[in-house]
Amino acid sequence: MAIIQMIDLTKKFGKLTAVDHLNLSIEEGEIFGFLGPNGAGKTTTLLMLVTVIKPTEGKAIVGGYDITREPDKARQLIGIAFQDPKLMWVMTPWEVLNWHAKVCGLTSSERKERVRWALTELDLWGDRYKSVHAFSGGMRKRVEIAKILIQRPKIAIIDEPTTQIDIVGKHKIWNMIRELKDEGSTIILATNELYEADLLSDRVAIMHRGKLLVCDSPKKLKDSIVGGDLIEIILEKEAPKITIEELKNINRVVEVLVLKPNHLRIYLNRAEEILPQITEFFIKTHLPIRSIRMSEPSLDDVFAHYTGLTIEEAEK
Amino acid sequence: MIKHVLLVAERDVKMFLQYKFILILRALWFLAQIALFGFVANRMVKEDVQIVTGNYFYFYAAGIVITLLYSMAVFISYDIYEEADHGVVEYLLSLPISRRELVLGRAIGGGLRSFLYVAPLMLVVLLMIGMTEPFRILIAFVALFLFAFGVSGMSITIAVSIKSHDRFDILLGVLNAFIVRLSTTMYPVVFMPKQYAVLAQFNPLTYAADIFRWGAGLEATLITNPFLSVLGIILFFSFFTFIGIIFYERRLEGGGWR
Ligand SMILES: Nc1ncnc2c1ncn2[C@@H]1O[C@H](COP(=O)(O)OP(=O)(O)OP(=O)(O)O)[C@@H](O)[C@H]1O
Ligand SMILES: [Mg+2]
Repeated sequence: MAIIQMIDLTKKFGKLTAVDHLNLSIEEGEIFGFLGPNGAGKTTTLLMLVTVIKPTEGKAIVGGYDITREPDKARQLIGIAFQDPKLMWVMTPWEVLNWHAKVCGLTSSERKERVRWALTELDLWGDRYKSVHAFSGGMRKRVEIAKILIQRPKIAIIDEPTTQIDIVGKHKIWNMIRELKDEGSTIILATNELYEADLLSDRVAIMHRGKLLVCDSPKKLKDSIVGGDLIEIILEKEAPKITIEELKNINRVVEVLVLKPNHLRIYLNRAEEILPQITEFFIKTHLPIRSIRMSEPSLDDVFAHYTGLTIEEAEK
Repeated sequence: MIKHVLLVAERDVKMFLQYKFILILRALWFLAQIALFGFVANRMVKEDVQIVTGNYFYFYAAGIVITLLYSMAVFISYDIYEEADHGVVEYLLSLPISRRELVLGRAIGGGLRSFLYVAPLMLVVLLMIGMTEPFRILIAFVALFLFAFGVSGMSITIAVSIKSHDRFDILLGVLNAFIVRLSTTMYPVVFMPKQYAVLAQFNPLTYAADIFRWGAGLEATLITNPFLSVLGIILFFSFFTFIGIIFYERRLEGGGWR
């Protein structure tokens, strides 16, 4: 059953349409990932769901409550960890988290136990009485995440769960997010890290310029790109344009991306069968191969495919 | 409902305690006002003033402590601006509490913290003047708490309406100039030109100063019946709490703070 439904959800800031007629349902108990380039409208969408900003048009139903008509009831079900930590600099993590837990209605024993647990797990226990003013960016982000992990709302929204966080911390937080799901929360994340989205999400939605481009499970999305397989080749010499055109004409090759003049990425179907043909092709054209690597497409490729933002483009 | 309001208020009180520097300096300011200005002004004012006010020094001390209560209650807005800068406003709006509980809690918190801070200074003033009427003092304190609560509500209302820290600073400076000087905090109403005196009679600061002087037993200068002052204060705080809630809901949603 859908726990969140967005119907033509739209937000305009003056002339800019930050979120443009978004239609999406999020199922109870899933981890749902929002992907999209900077400025795509991910954060704006999430802020509308937690009723911090009001939609310009359309609506969203959160746990049965219309966010514009019954925002107070919707907020009882939902909690958010913000992209930028929202902490008053004069306070300590201890105060921030205890106050948050009280406001969210935890009993005193739950509060004590969970605050201690979150601070310990996130390596903040020793610094719990320091003012957040003296914290590094990653430490502040940990405090922000701790809020939602303590709250354990029915619907947990996490905007960029692990930006600024070191690699050990990332893995801890990913595990904690999975545990939160196991305890029955529905989780919505927004992220720019495709690896993170792939790792955690049951389904992802890719947004671009306020619009939804596609929404499905990571696996299906990867399968959906034509030329589902991928070969990366680094040559000893630069490949001339004509060679690339010829390469594209080989049966089953779908697309060739020139990452660098001597670095090609070939999208194709059933790579293992035509790999010999491709190596032969380069030998014939007198372009010795330095390295060759075959892989399945990642969410990166899905992202590039749908947003039209290619690495090729990024490197220009 | 009450629990949420109190939690919000508690947070504002705690936050206030962090501003040790400001708290110490404001106490020094108060000391300078009475020990220097009040003392010298008392020697300067002529006999006819003393006839109206009794000892002018007492009259002044009782007035200036009320202006301190007022300015500390206004201070809540500075927290609101700081929070806007740190994005904390959005955090507060995302919590499972209603907007009404949030504004009410902040107005109470803002009022309570200024009251708790100024109460010892009020006691000092009362000790100087002589505490003859404990029951009146009690009533005065309750009324002054409501006054501080109303001032916080007013401050929040103005802050969320103009949403600009710089403008708020300037506006507040001007507002203070008028609201303090068009009240009986520093001079008795009989010395005011008629037009000023009329305005002073509709000024919550006048009511607050009056009720405090009534509590302190400085009766000669009261401009109204003390119960009308209490009524004035109640009207004042109810109005701004109500307006504050509406403004907070209207202005803070739909596009964030900026
Ligand atoms: N309060 C605001 N006022 C005006 N414009 C805004 C406001 N908030 C967001 N925007 C604009 O709306 C668009 C979407 O922003 P949003 O923060 O939702 O993007 P995002 O997908 O979260 O990006 P990122 O990956 O950088 O976090 C951007 O163009 C941004 O400039
Ligand atoms: Mg964002």
